[in-house]
Amino acid sequence: MSALPFSVLVVEDDGDLVSLMELVLTDAGYRVRTAPEGGVALARIAEEMPGLILLDMRMPGMNGWEFAREFRSRYGRAAPIVVVTAAENARARAAEVGADGWLSKPFEIDEVLRMVAARAATAAAAAAAGATSGTGAAPAGT
Amino acid sequence: MAVGRIYRWGMDSLESAHGDGPAGPVDARSVPGGDGAPRRSADWRDPGGRRGAPLLVAVVYVIVGLAWIALSDHALEVFVADPALRGQLGTLKGAAFVTVTGVVLFLLVWRRDERLRRFGEELRATLDSLGDGVLVVSQRGRVVEINRAVRELTGLLRKEDHLIPVADWAVRVNLRTRDGRPVAPDQFATLRVLGGERPGSYDAILRRTDGTDLPVSISATPVLDRAGRARLAVAVIRDASEAHRLAQTREELLATAAHELKTPLSVIKAHAQLLLRRADPEPGLQVIVRQVDRLTRLVQQILDASRLRLDNVELRWEQVDLAEVAAVVVTDMGPRPGGHSVAFEGRGGAWVRADRDRITRVITALVDNALRFSPADSPVEVRVGVRGGETIFSVLDHGVGIPPERQDRVFERYYRAHAGTPDDRGGLGVGLDTCREIVARHGGRMWFQSEPGTGSTFLFALPLSPTERGA
Repeated sequence: MSALPFSVLVVEDDGDLVSLMELVLTDAGYRVRTAPEGGVALARIAEEMPGLILLDMRMPGMNGWEFAREFRSRYGRAAPIVVVTAAENARARAAEVGADGWLSKPFEIDEVLRMVAARAATAAAAAAAGATSGTGAAPAGT
Repeated sequence: MAVGRIYRWGMDSLESAHGDGPAGPVDARSVPGGDGAPRRSADWRDPGGRRGAPLLVAVVYVIVGLAWIALSDHALEVFVADPALRGQLGTLKGAAFVTVTGVVLFLLVWRRDERLRRFGEELRATLDSLGDGVLVVSQRGRVVEINRAVRELTGLLRKEDHLIPVADWAVRVNLRTRDGRPVAPDQFATLRVLGGERPGSYDAILRRTDGTDLPVSISATPVLDRAGRARLAVAVIRDASEAHRLAQTREELLATAAHELKTPLSVIKAHAQLLLRRADPEPGLQVIVRQVDRLTRLVQQILDASRLRLDNVELRWEQVDLAEVAAVVVTDMGPRPGGHSVAFEGRGGAWVRADRDRITRVITALVDNALRFSPADSPVEVRVGVRGGETIFSVLDHGVGIPPERQDRVFERYYRAHAGTPDDRGGLGVGLDTCREIVARHGGRMWFQSEPGTGSTFLFALPLSPTERGA
């Protein structure tokens, strides 16, 4: 079993929000990588598949909708996407891009941590099951 | 409309004139009272003239006629000795009298008719020069006159297409409220005016013949007879597309601004929360978090209100027990600082077809209002009941109440009934407007009762969902 902590890719163009996510998630023991827009995010994913993608929708360059479409076409459901949106109907926004969850801005830190912890637990359980059955459904995909 | 108030139009003639080309006012006499005497100017004379004119003509005719008979008979007796000749001359003078008076009467009537015709043309030209549409409706609810602007606004260019019962006219132009529902006949400003009401203007949408929608504002004024009864209703239809466009732009700007505020709010709040986790945090951090939450609520209110106005709202329909939703809202509010108590009364099974999130927001906003505007030690009572095919929600407070002169505007957007008074509790003035809009989109209605110093009750009714009614 890899000892590497669960990794989160934060795709967000607001520098302060990115720093905040890094601070909170790193503090909680996760590995955090960031991308200011969808194109850079795809490059980061090509290097290493994250355990979870926190995705802003409105970004300069490749926006959240385009990124989600591109990610799904390339990698399918290799990593869950959680939409982080200021939209009034976050649930609908998440459904639009086939996301696995959503966070409404402004959010509580605990909400973010709960969300990431739940995904990490799911990934860990899947990895453990994979290791037991030997099917090798590694989250680090390609 | 001033013209409508000043002149009384001969309605029967108007109604019968439909088939004969342009219908026009055939009788335009001044109405006493109201605005007082008709406005006159050297250039535009009321062809009705003085009211006593016909009587004067008749009296003069009788006097002249009698004088002519007496004088001419006397002259014949004095100057003509032959009785046969006198008889012939008597017949001739009678014929001459009839001919002369006939010519005079013809000239009088012709002149008056000419004046009326010219006056009618001038009146129609005046109506046609107005930028607003003018629609005149008879007591029988039939459109009897329109101006050019009505034809241009609707795209129905033939006048005859408009001269139909006003209810049919509304169907023909697909008259709808701003949220898309057909305007019911009992809402028509003209029919309400004819029924003795004095409704204000209302916003509507009509469909032009080219298929485009036109936002309009409609108001109506009665034309009263001497007894003060409404003989006619004159509707003014104003093209509101420019105002509508400006309002759209304003709402879009507000929505964007509110949306953009959410990210900085997230960052501020999260950092404050992080700092709060440290040992011995600054007491001011708690205030920052609280105020950020308040800002967030205000931003959400603006977003809600703007989205509704921009028609950007998709309701997510589901079967909802209104009693359960209200109970959850009351429970979630928890004990209030300062001792407010919120009592809930209602039985389950108040099923409605609704968007749970939106209806929850409506109830939260109404209960929150009740709490804000009532003393801390007074109870607020929330009730949900079922009556006559409707589920009725009410929240009663023993608060400051709303002054009667401000009650008409309570649901108006950005209006704050207590602004500038000692009872001003802040807010944006969009809460009730938004609530009513949401309720309306659920096919329901919202209203209130209020007395200053005693308190207010805000209520809304939603149609009971069919499954429940059938049960």
